[in-house]
Amino acid sequence: MAGTNKKTGKAGVPAGASLYLYRKLSSLRVSVYLLGVLTFFYGLGTVFPQGAALEEYSGAGGKVVAAVRLFNLLDIFNTPWFLVPAFVLFLNVLVCTYDRFFTIRARKKTLPETFPADCAVTLDCARSDVEEELPGILRGKLGFRVLSKTPGWTVLEKGLSYRWLTWLYHAALAASFAGFILSGLFVREGMVTLRPGKPAEVVSAGEKLGWLEKEDHAAPDFRLVLDAFITAYTQSPSLEYPTDKRSRLAYALGWKGLSYKSEEDSFFPKDWFSKLRVLRGGATVSEKTIEVNDPLKFEGYTFYQAAYEQTLRLRVKGSPSIVEAKAGEKIKLPGMEGEFLFGTLRVGTLNRLDGTVEKIIPFTTVKKITDAKESAGKGMRLTPGNSVDIDGRTIELVDFEEASVLSYRYDPGVPVLWVAGSLVFIVMALRCFGRWYMLAYTLEDTGGRTLLKLHIRAKGLSADPERIKRRLLHCLSNRA
Amino acid sequence: MPQELILSRDAYLLTIDLRLFWLVAFIYAASALVFILHAVTRSPQAGSAARGIMWAGVVIHLFFIAFRTFEGGRAPFQTLYESLSWFACTASLTCVVVSRKFRDVHVPSMFVVMLSAGASFYALLTRNPAVDPLSPPLQSWWFEWHVVMAFLSYAVIVVSCAIEGTYLISRPLLARGAPRALGLTAQDTDGFRKTAFNLVLFGFPLLTFAVFSGAAWANEAWGRYWSWDPKETWSLITWTVFAMYLHAMGIPAWRKNVASILNVAGFICMMMTFLGVNWLAKLLGIPGLHLYAV
Ligand code: HEM
Repeated sequence: MAGTNKKTGKAGVPAGASLYLYRKLSSLRVSVYLLGVLTFFYGLGTVFPQGAALEEYSGAGGKVVAAVRLFNLLDIFNTPWFLVPAFVLFLNVLVCTYDRFFTIRARKKTLPETFPADCAVTLDCARSDVEEELPGILRGKLGFRVLSKTPGWTVLEKGLSYRWLTWLYHAALAASFAGFILSGLFVREGMVTLRPGKPAEVVSAGEKLGWLEKEDHAAPDFRLVLDAFITAYTQSPSLEYPTDKRSRLAYALGWKGLSYKSEEDSFFPKDWFSKLRVLRGGATVSEKTIEVNDPLKFEGYTFYQAAYEQTLRLRVKGSPSIVEAKAGEKIKLPGMEGEFLFGTLRVGTLNRLDGTVEKIIPFTTVKKITDAKESAGKGMRLTPGNSVDIDGRTIELVDFEEASVLSYRYDPGVPVLWVAGSLVFIVMALRCFGRWYMLAYTLEDTGGRTLLKLHIRAKGLSADPERIKRRLLHCLSNRA
Repeated sequence: MPQELILSRDAYLLTIDLRLFWLVAFIYAASALVFILHAVTRSPQAGSAARGIMWAGVVIHLFFIAFRTFEGGRAPFQTLYESLSWFACTASLTCVVVSRKFRDVHVPSMFVVMLSAGASFYALLTRNPAVDPLSPPLQSWWFEWHVVMAFLSYAVIVVSCAIEGTYLISRPLLARGAPRALGLTAQDTDGFRKTAFNLVLFGFPLLTFAVFSGAAWANEAWGRYWSWDPKETWSLITWTVFAMYLHAMGIPAWRKNVASILNVAGFICMMMTFLGVNWLAKLLGIPGLHLYAV
C-alpha cells in the first residue's frame, strides 16, 4: 500500500484495481449506507425476540415462521446477513482512518495560496510596522501558532486540531470494533452455583462459547468457595396513592394529602453479598465479598452476583422423612392433601427507616394452594425449629440452606473496549465541545496606511470567531 | 426519630414535591396554549408571553428538581417519574436558552413545551411519585450518569428536531417568495439550521457516553456489556442515525434534504428508545432487561 499513488498523487494510496475498492472503503457516503444497513438489522432484532426458540415464537402467535427459520431471525446478530456488513463497516472505518492520516498530514502542503477575506481593516500605520508586530500579537496575546507562510498569506492555527481529533476518535472506533471481534471470538460465559463451604469448579455444562472456543477448552485450575451469603434488606413503606387519573388530579389540586404506610413485612432487598475465596491447590489465592455491581475479577474471569437459591428442609409431624422445598415453588407434602407454597426465606439484616440495623430472625411463609385466589394471599410465618398447623397436621422448618448463583465471564475484548470506548468519548467531546481556529491574513500597502485582510475558520461549539476578530482589532488599535 | 414521624415527614415532603410538579406541568400546558394562540393570531405579544411563561415553568422545574434531590437525598434521575421530569426540564431549558437567538420564531418552542407538558402529565398520571429505594442493579454510579446523560442528550435532540422541522416547513414557503415563514426570513435560515446541527454536535458525545456508560453498567451488574435487549438496540439505532446525520452534513449533496430527514428520523428513534420500545416489546411479547422501567 505504501508509496505515492501516481494517479491520485497521494501518499499511502494503492494503485490499479485495488484503487476502486480503496476509494469505496474510504468513502463517507459508503459509511452512511453501511450504517443504514446495520440500522435495518438492529430494527429487525427488536421486532423478533432474540434468543427465543422457534417454537416459542410460533407458539406466541409469530406469523412469519418460514422467514424466521430461513434467515435465522431469532439470532439475527450472529447471522452472516448482519456480521458481513458489520465487518465491512469495520474495514470502512479502518481504511478511512488510514486514508485520512495521509490527507491530514499533507495538509500543510496543500493549503491554498489565497483565501477569501472575511473582513478587511485599514490601519493607520506603515505595513512594515504591522508586519513586525502582528505575529507577536497573534502568538503572544491570542495564542496562535504559525502553520505556513507564503509571500502573500500567513496562516496560523489555535486550539487542538479538530481534524486530528476526528481522526483519533475514528481510530478509537476501529479499535472498539477490534474489541467486539475479540469478544465474539474468545468469550466464555456461564453460571456457577456455590453452596457454603463446598468448593466448586468454574466451568459448568451449558457454557456459552465464542466462535473460536472449543467445548473441551482447558478449564481454569482454580476453584471457588462461598464462605457466606448475606442479604441486606431495607424497610420499604408503601405510598397510599390512587392509580386512577381523576383521583390523582385531586391530590394535585390539594384536596388530599399523601400518606405512607409501613407494613411489618416490607422487606426490600437492598443488596446481596457473597463472601468468596479463590482456591488453587488448596491454598487461598484471592478473596472478596462481591455484591451486585461489584464483581470479583481473577485471571481474566469476572464473577458476578446473579441470583440465589434457598432450600428449606421440612418435616411433617408423624412422617419420618425430611422434605426439601425451594422458596417460591409449589410442593406436595407427605401425607397431606393439596399443594403448598413457601415464600422467600427472610434472613440477613434489615435497615430500619430510623437508621438502625437489626439482624433478622429467619422466617419463611407457608400457605396451602387450593385455588388461584388463595395463592395471592399471605402465608403463615414459619421460623427454623418452629412449626405451624395446617389441616390438623404440624409442619416444622428443620433448617435451611442458601446458595449463591454467580454468572461468570471470560472476555478478552472488555479491556480493549474500556480503553477504546473511553478514548472515543473523551476525544469526541474535545472535538465537539472544544474550539479550533485557523486564521489567515495578508497585508497590503495603501499609500502609508495598511490594509489588513483576515480569513477566519472555526470549529467546535465553544469557538467564537467574532471574539477573535474583536480581540485582534482591539490589540491592534491599542498598539496604535 | 420515631418511625411514625419519619413517615409523616416524608409524606409531607412528597405532597409538596407532587404539587410542585403538577404546577410545572400546568405552566407548560399554559405556555403551549398561549403559543397556539400566537400561531392563530400571529400576535407578537402572545409569542413573548408564551415564552415568558415557559421560562417561569423552567425556573420552577429546576427548583422542583433541587427540592426532590433534598427530599430523597440522592440525584432524582432514577425512576421513570424522575427521568421524565428531567427530560421535560432539560428540553425546555435548552429551548428557552437557544431560542433567545431567534426571538420571532416560536414554532420550536411550541413543539418543545407541548412535549414537556406531555412528559410531565404522563409522569404524574401514570407513575408513582414515591422516593423508593433502588433495586440492587440500579445502585451504580454508571446507572446514575447513564440516565443523566441519556436524557440530557434526548432533550437536546428534541430541540434540534424542532428547529429542523421548522426549517423544513419554512424552506418551501420562502422558496415560493414569501418574505417570512414561521418567523424566519430567507437570510435567517442557514444560521437557524446551523443551530440544529450544533445541538446534535452537542448531544452526540452525550449520547455516546449514554450508550458507553449503559454498556459499562451492564458489564458491572450482569457481566455482559451488550445483550441486544430491545431498549439497548433502540439506543444503538438512535446513535447510529445521528452518526449518519453528522456524516450526511459532511456530504455537500446530502446536506440539505437527506440530513434533515435523518435528523427528524433520529428524533423518532429517540422517542422509540425512550417510550416506544416498551410498547413495542409488550406488543410483540419480547422480554427485556429494561422493562422494569415500564
Ligand atoms: C460507527 C461509525 C462512525 C461513527 C460513530 C462516526 C462518528 C462521526 C461523528 C460524530 C462525526 C462528526 C463530528 C466530527 O466531524 O468530528 C464524524 C465525522 C466524520 N466521519 Fe465519522 N463516524 C463513523 C464512521 C466513519 C467512517 C467509516 C468514515 C469513513 C469514511 C468516517 C469519516 C468521517 C469524516 C471524514 C468526518 C468529518 C466530516 C466533515 O468533514 O464534516 N466516519 N463521524
